[in-house]
Amino acid sequence: MARRQEVYTAKAKRTVKAEAPEDGAVSAKYKKAKDKGGKTAAGRTAEKEVTKKSAEKKTAARSDSRTKAASPGRRTAVPKAVRVLPAQEKRKAVRRTAAARCAEPDEDKDERRLAAMHRRIQRKEKKEATVFRDRKRAVSRAGDARVTLIALLTLLFEVLGLLLAAVRTEGTVDMQAVMLCAVVAPVGLITSLLLPRVLPIDSLIMALTNFLCGVGLVILYTVAPERGVRQAQFYVAGLVLMIVIGVMVSRMRRFRGITLLAMVLGIMALVLPLAFGEWNNGAKNWVELPVVGSFQPSELVKLSLVLALAYYFSAHRTVFQMMPAILFAAACLVLLMLQRDLGTALIYYLTTLVLFYAACGNVPLTMLGLCGGAGAAVLGYNMFAHVKVRVAMWRNPWSDPLDKGYQIIQALLAIGSGGLFGVGLGQGTPEKIPAYYNDFIFAVICEQMGLVFGLLLLLVYVLLILRGVTVISRSRRSFDMLLGCGVLAMIGIQTFMIVAGVIKMIPLTGVTMPFLSYGGSSLMSCMAMIGILHGISGRAQENLEEDVLTSRV
Amino acid sequence: MGVFFIKVIKRRIHMLVMMLLVLFALMIAYSCYSVYFYGGRWVSNPYNPRISSQKQNVIMGTVTDRDGTVLAYTDESGTRCYNSSKETRMAVSQVVGDSTGKVSTGVDTFHAQYMLGFRSSVFERLADAFTGTPQRGDDLQLTISERLSRYITEQFPSGKRGAVVVLNYKTNEILAMVSMPQFDPTDMESALADEDAGALINRATQGLYPPGSTFKIVTLASALQNLPDLEEFAFDCTGYYPVGNYSVTEASAHGVQSLSDAFIHSCNTAFASLSQDLGYGMLGATAEALGFNENFMFGDLIVYNSSYPIDDLSAEDLAWSSIGQGRVLATPMHMALIAATIANDGVMNEPHLLRAITTAQGGSRKLPGSFSGKRVLSEEIAARVEREMIRTVKSGTGTRAALSDGYTVAGKTGSAEASDDKSIESHAWFVGYITNDNAPYAISVLVENGGSGGSVAAPLARKTLQKAINLGL
Repeated sequence: MARRQEVYTAKAKRTVKAEAPEDGAVSAKYKKAKDKGGKTAAGRTAEKEVTKKSAEKKTAARSDSRTKAASPGRRTAVPKAVRVLPAQEKRKAVRRTAAARCAEPDEDKDERRLAAMHRRIQRKEKKEATVFRDRKRAVSRAGDARVTLIALLTLLFEVLGLLLAAVRTEGTVDMQAVMLCAVVAPVGLITSLLLPRVLPIDSLIMALTNFLCGVGLVILYTVAPERGVRQAQFYVAGLVLMIVIGVMVSRMRRFRGITLLAMVLGIMALVLPLAFGEWNNGAKNWVELPVVGSFQPSELVKLSLVLALAYYFSAHRTVFQMMPAILFAAACLVLLMLQRDLGTALIYYLTTLVLFYAACGNVPLTMLGLCGGAGAAVLGYNMFAHVKVRVAMWRNPWSDPLDKGYQIIQALLAIGSGGLFGVGLGQGTPEKIPAYYNDFIFAVICEQMGLVFGLLLLLVYVLLILRGVTVISRSRRSFDMLLGCGVLAMIGIQTFMIVAGVIKMIPLTGVTMPFLSYGGSSLMSCMAMIGILHGISGRAQENLEEDVLTSRV
Repeated sequence: MGVFFIKVIKRRIHMLVMMLLVLFALMIAYSCYSVYFYGGRWVSNPYNPRISSQKQNVIMGTVTDRDGTVLAYTDESGTRCYNSSKETRMAVSQVVGDSTGKVSTGVDTFHAQYMLGFRSSVFERLADAFTGTPQRGDDLQLTISERLSRYITEQFPSGKRGAVVVLNYKTNEILAMVSMPQFDPTDMESALADEDAGALINRATQGLYPPGSTFKIVTLASALQNLPDLEEFAFDCTGYYPVGNYSVTEASAHGVQSLSDAFIHSCNTAFASLSQDLGYGMLGATAEALGFNENFMFGDLIVYNSSYPIDDLSAEDLAWSSIGQGRVLATPMHMALIAATIANDGVMNEPHLLRAITTAQGGSRKLPGSFSGKRVLSEEIAARVEREMIRTVKSGTGTRAALSDGYTVAGKTGSAEASDDKSIESHAWFVGYITNDNAPYAISVLVENGGSGGSVAAPLARKTLQKAINLGL
């Protein structure tokens, strides 16, 4: 804490120095001018001075690398910290002049202009007040009513659901369910309510994630107890992984090494199933490893992809310089095609496209990429027989209700039988749906809890994504933003693909439902991605803390 | 540069998120839409394994006819029982269905979602749970009349297969829906053993037959809609009309006749020549407006799609299609609907099978939604077609369908050839309705391989309509 205090004092000094040129930039085009002129001569010298001083003061490890490595992000921090003070000065000045002018009768034109200026300033003050409130809220480590509510709802659902499952068979109590409840419920409460106070964790994102995982656990336990227990283990392990990754991302200043490592490991991991895997359901995307057990590399390589894309798209501005990431994505796509894991390939592809657009905003090239994807889809349709079957079953599953259309039909029948409010937890016959515990978990949820609950779950995903956007919007670096955007795109696109597939809106793609589906690899990768969001929120929080402190001067 | 870049990225990310949210909104809207429109069908689908498992937990509701006669009920031991009289059981067998779900379109299966309590609300279930009574499904009252159904069964030519549908075209209720042969739901073994008879199929809604000359109603309507100068239309029927490599033939030459005469005498060659003027576009449009090629998504019953093929665009196919032969197929229910449409001055309504749904607690549930009347023909054309149909019964091929006591019947006969083999009798059709307001009944009769429509189907239609009037339905 003492170290941090030093940085603040250094910053406060810089603030004073930067004030003079900043004041001159006030005009009708106030905002724009500030954006561009943020880095004035004085500001630059101030920054250099600070850099030198702090380097001497052995705070080098953090502050120095920050200024150097992510220079665009750093530059933005300077004017922002400075902004509040000169703006207030200026406002006072304007008010003084306005009062002076109003004293003597003047022309209408002038008065109108002054009134307009006044309004503008008021608007600006209001906006700044909101921003300030948002920052304070973000910085505050105090409990948040929304988080408490969600955490309690999660607790309620888990306790009621699991205890209900425990007494399902009359006369006996299923101790396993009670044990599971005793483990999972406190873990959810602790991670949502207590851990955010000491670790870089966004409590709202954490609470929403816990809610989704909790629902998945309870449903899985009621339809397949042993899978539910296994999922609980994955859940706890995933939480640990999430926290580790969150802390790592919030502390790390250089990403070059880890990005390169992730890319190499990613390619290697994707080759594994091709080399050692077995064909399973027309795809070869699983691999058995001696220590880890069987897992699906394509799930974990999602992290590599997001990291690589964010790293090469953030600071490297031309398409040519972005190439390493694009080539990596292309290599992943080819490997996934070879594995016949087309659903995951589609997620990878769309995420790449989304990040490409977000980073460079090149609409023609993005469109070209989209067209290329459409071409590849047509090619895939003609090349792979099972793609043709999937599309045919999407158009009319009733043409082969007992074989090829069986899956989707059983899912629809389950959703229809559930109606609006479901047949009840643990009721119904979900095991008639093939893959009910992973790909089709949404149909199971709709049957047991009803369509209304299913749609509410979708809204929880929406909330998670919106909260993620809020978090990444606070960050000051393009790298953080793109990293967060990649994570959100992955989760959002995957959720859309599987749910829309299950309700027969689009052809079915065999991907899992994030957080809900049974499966270690899937859950781990989702938790790790949420960990990245936590890390980004932690990084942004440091910046905000600085802002809040300096603006109180 | 820095701040600007960050802001631009932020804006783009916000835009992308908006797009994702739109996708999610579409997904939510789609799932609501499909569950609202198809949810009920998914539940009652024969491939749904939940129906049979639900029967273990819920007491299935009772089915009664429009007069309150119990057709099916569940006794204390939980077995599904049917009406005590064998004649009644048989007469309504395909409508009510069976307890094993072999008749997928029967009420016992198709409306199981009500009778098995899939539509019960949480409160109703809780009420059952608190009072300790086992959950009970809803009771259904059907629009059909058991007495009329039994009468039709008695009058149907013995040994023949076929179907009769009687509709009330004012209230859109199905008064009778009889399919021959029938089965006894208490003795499913013999019904399953004799699978060739096809007793488990409801021929009224699932049987697809060439409509034969009854399709001339559609051709006539299309011609009235699209062709000018029909009043001067005169056709010299030589019993032979060459089209392409084939020719449309007639048993005997009718000589020179007007459009009206051609209709009431059911002249094939005249209508074949009309079809050449109309073409696939106009005839197909009228047929599709009247429900051909359409998936009827009726809330109360499943009706198979009738088809008017427009993929093979040859002239002879067109000629045959105009007289309801070739690949044109229709269900008796659909033909009854067409008659009801003409009777309703060109407005088509959805037929209903459910009259009331009563919950176990005694409340009533909302009936499944229906589309409101859809105008498919203009009033003038419907009136003109009606005039021709009345003439057909008065002095044309359908004279044996005429009623006395001031009741006017409008109708059209049909003798559809189902095979090239002349020794096999044609399907006998009669489609029509009573024009009087106090007896608004539309009817469609089909006797498979029964002979000519005028001599086999028309008398049966007359008897059925007379009985409906006597019963005062």
